[in-house]
Amino acid sequence: MNGVDVHSAQSQDAQAPDTQWPRWEIFKQDTAGKVHQAVGSVHATDPDHALLTARSVFARRPAAVSLWAVREQDIFSVTREELENGQTLPGHSGEVQSYRIFGKKTHKRSMTFVDELGMLEAACPQAALEAARSQFGDELLAWWVIPVSAFVGSPEDAETVESWFAPAKDKTYKQQSAYGVVGKHVSERNPRVKHD
Amino acid sequence: MTDLTSEQTQALILRLTVLADDELLLSHRDAEWTGHAPILEEDIALANIAQDELGHAMGWLDLRKTLDGSDPDGLAFRRGPDEFRNSALTELPKGDWAFTMVRQYLFDAYEALWQDAAKASTHTPLAQAAALALREERFHLQHTAAWVERLALGTPESERRTRAALQAVWPYALGLFEPLEGEQAGIEAGLLPDPTQIKARWLPLVTAHLTRCGLTPPGAEPVARGTHTEHLALLLAEFQGVNRQYAEMTAW
Repeated sequence: MNGVDVHSAQSQDAQAPDTQWPRWEIFKQDTAGKVHQAVGSVHATDPDHALLTARSVFARRPAAVSLWAVREQDIFSVTREELENGQTLPGHSGEVQSYRIFGKKTHKRSMTFVDELGMLEAACPQAALEAARSQFGDELLAWWVIPVSAFVGSPEDAETVESWFAPAKDKTYKQQSAYGVVGKHVSERNPRVKHD
Repeated sequence: MTDLTSEQTQALILRLTVLADDELLLSHRDAEWTGHAPILEEDIALANIAQDELGHAMGWLDLRKTLDGSDPDGLAFRRGPDEFRNSALTELPKGDWAFTMVRQYLFDAYEALWQDAAKASTHTPLAQAAALALREERFHLQHTAAWVERLALGTPESERRTRAALQAVWPYALGLFEPLEGEQAGIEAGLLPDPTQIKARWLPLVTAHLTRCGLTPPGAEPVARGTHTEHLALLLAEFQGVNRQYAEMTAW
């Protein structure tokens, strides 16, 4: 064999630099009275870029009045199973700062997984989590604890809000569940056939 | 609605056609990136822009229809290259990402300013359509301005490509502001914005942004509207192909 070193090629592949841009988790507020909800993520070079792409990806048609972006490494997350297994969040006590608390309440919804629950002050993510569990109930499937300082938000001036979010009101938008599924025409003709 | 003289109607029809033709072709060039953009998020974002521009073109052609009864589909799909009134800026091939973003940025700035001025049109349907389109155009402008900045101040490679793009499109962008034949009748009646006033707002706006990005617009003479390149016929062959192939279709 000449020149082909499989092991070396594999290890190089494993060490290949990550060429993806940083990943940002996006939170969308549907209307002024509602909380922000996690809707998905985008890759972007910087906070402004993350918000611009998030607007195109998540708010071209769905209703929105505000977007937040947070870099993935600024999110401290833990699931109920992990908590039961004794997992904790970083606990180095530091400066008391504000954290936003998010929780996942159910597996049953198709689109949104994690809702904003509220804000609290704590000296570290673990302390914030403990306070959140007593304040917001302990029945959640997953917790996200995020320093308020990690958030960037879409512009709030009236002209930009209109420019980013008003056009969606004139566009047709349906959740994917609103579209027919394969075989739906059969079940409509024959009520005994069930397609869920 | 005010009664329009024949000269005013002609001025409106021509400007609406010019607006629609620019947006149709630019929309097509942007759509050519679908599935090929540098990253998925930008693929979606540019497809959004392409759809918006296509929607604006439909809006302008629908307005024209109220003036002369013309068929928007007929105008879009069954005119030849010599009948299109677009600026050559919008027919140039999509080039690289820097070319697409620089062209779109200069065009978005022009469009946003034109629509902002047209909100004051004494032709109420035009004022309303301009106000609607402007909302989306402002967002396009933010997005493309951000890209010009990141490319120009990014790597030596992205800077080189951005400079080359600006050099190439600048003369065409200047041509966007040439008054159309007979347009003065519409301008004097307050029906249409004066393109020379749009240019007086556009030039400092884009020059300031380009300067912040370390770029200098080249000295160049405008390429007049009506000057087409060999790329237009090929673009139309693709853009119009399906419609022309099924000319007997009555509904799409």
